Amino acid sequence: MIAYLVNLATLVCINAILAITLNFIMGYAGIFSLAHAVFFGVGAYVAAFIALQWTDALLLQLPAAMLIAGTISAALALPALRVRGDYFVAASLGFQVLAATVFSEWKSVTGGIGGLVGIPPASIAGHAFSDPVQFLGLAGVTLALVVVLTRAIVRSSFGRSLKAIRDSESAALAFGKNVALIKTLSVFYSTAVCAVAGVLYADYLSFINVESFTIDASTLFMAMVIVGGIGTVWGPIVGAVLLTLLPAALTYLPFLPRTEIGSVQQMVYGLAMVLLMIFKPDGLMGAKRGEA
Amino acid sequence: MLQVSKAPGSPATLLEIANLTKSFDGVKAVEDVSLRLREGIITTLVGPNGAGKTTLFNLITGHLRPTSGDIRWQDESIVGTAPWKIARLGVARTFQDLRLFSHMTVFENVLTVMEKSAWFWQSEAGSGAERHQRVHEILEATGLQHNAGVRANDLAYAERKFLSMARIMATKAKMWLLDEPASGLDPRSYERFVTLLRGEVRRGITICIIEHNLEIVVSISDRISFLDQGRLLADGEPEEILGNPELSSIYFGERNS
Repeated sequence: MIAYLVNLATLVCINAILAITLNFIMGYAGIFSLAHAVFFGVGAYVAAFIALQWTDALLLQLPAAMLIAGTISAALALPALRVRGDYFVAASLGFQVLAATVFSEWKSVTGGIGGLVGIPPASIAGHAFSDPVQFLGLAGVTLALVVVLTRAIVRSSFGRSLKAIRDSESAALAFGKNVALIKTLSVFYSTAVCAVAGVLYADYLSFINVESFTIDASTLFMAMVIVGGIGTVWGPIVGAVLLTLLPAALTYLPFLPRTEIGSVQQMVYGLAMVLLMIFKPDGLMGAKRGEA
Repeated sequence: MLQVSKAPGSPATLLEIANLTKSFDGVKAVEDVSLRLREGIITTLVGPNGAGKTTLFNLITGHLRPTSGDIRWQDESIVGTAPWKIARLGVARTFQDLRLFSHMTVFENVLTVMEKSAWFWQSEAGSGAERHQRVHEILEATGLQHNAGVRANDLAYAERKFLSMARIMATKAKMWLLDEPASGLDPRSYERFVTLLRGEVRRGITICIIEHNLEIVVSISDRISFLDQGRLLADGEPEEILGNPELSSIYFGERNS
């Protein structure tokens, strides 16, 4: 039972990092990306590849994953500079589909559909995090760092510029904001830290394949942000906790046959989203919207 | 163009527009306009709706690119320069539809204008405390001091107009382009507004303003430029423009010829 809870808590930490980084561009830069799972995947594959080929050293995997994900984020930043709103969502969707195909076909690096197995646990200074409780500690500390850093950025002058751009791009330009640079940097930060979650995920599960990095995952991350409350500090964390624990909680309902859980889960998600949009359209933490 | 005035001995030109044309799919919104905005005075752009006044602002600030012609800021052409660079050269503007940073507080709306912040680590002019002090002064001057923590979206209409002014006051711009800043204000508010504007001109700000309310036009203008259907019909002293029967018949829609 303890092992089960530790497992859930670790996944909550990883999902929270994903939701926080997605919220950073959705809530503060106004960039609605349906391709967040791509950068989660890039982080995971880079970590797995390095771990299997060279080293299990976390402090080497992290910067490599962040740098590669951040560089690939140009694929997201470029359309974000040209189009807004619905058009950008469509562009990011196309990017997500394209990336999932690369993940499943580039066999020499990603292991194809079968994925990569036997990824050794991460280590720092020779200490391997093979004990799940220790790994939870690592994930928890990483999450805390991400929360602190993201909050600091949102409250800085950079964060204010970002919000100004979200509220009126033309006015931000008219007041001397270098909109293109600010957007590009924000997408870089979001995707690089998203890749950190991918590194933790690969090192934790020791097995990854494309199924964790498809459009379904991107949709789930977006749901976490929307359920919790876009543009709030705690919203994405609340959303990540709820949407990670919900499927686990459903398995405890005694009257549900095991085989039906998958479809019941989808119905509960759908119903919850509809009810939320009716009664709390700004998300569960939505009252805090606009605060830094 | 009617030669209303030669304006001898007038102050130096800060911004010069030369033979400027902007067409949208063949329709000329601005056609062959030449105009000088002179330092330290208030120039008012008047003319019926669709005369091209706002398009002219958008061309100056780089939000639109001219089809032909030139715009020179302190003798340097700024055509093709990015809007944020033009803003940093010293040209600031307000928008007819305000475009406040609606989910940010009044305080943040003004503060963010003082911060360039293209980089996470970029240093700013002056300390944070000095900027906060300056924001409070501006809010005081615009009567918004009690609304510092209120979201821009939650302000009343007149307060929103004054926040739009507060934001431009926070810039270091030499020239302000104001797009109908007083429209919809009640008489007491626009008295406050005119006083505010006069104070800023004394401080050395050059202003170009789009305004329909003739009472305000009369009380603030040092020069008036009259546009109609994208063309500059007249440019001169207020009395000359407002006293011209041909122009007033265009303005009031009695065009027969």
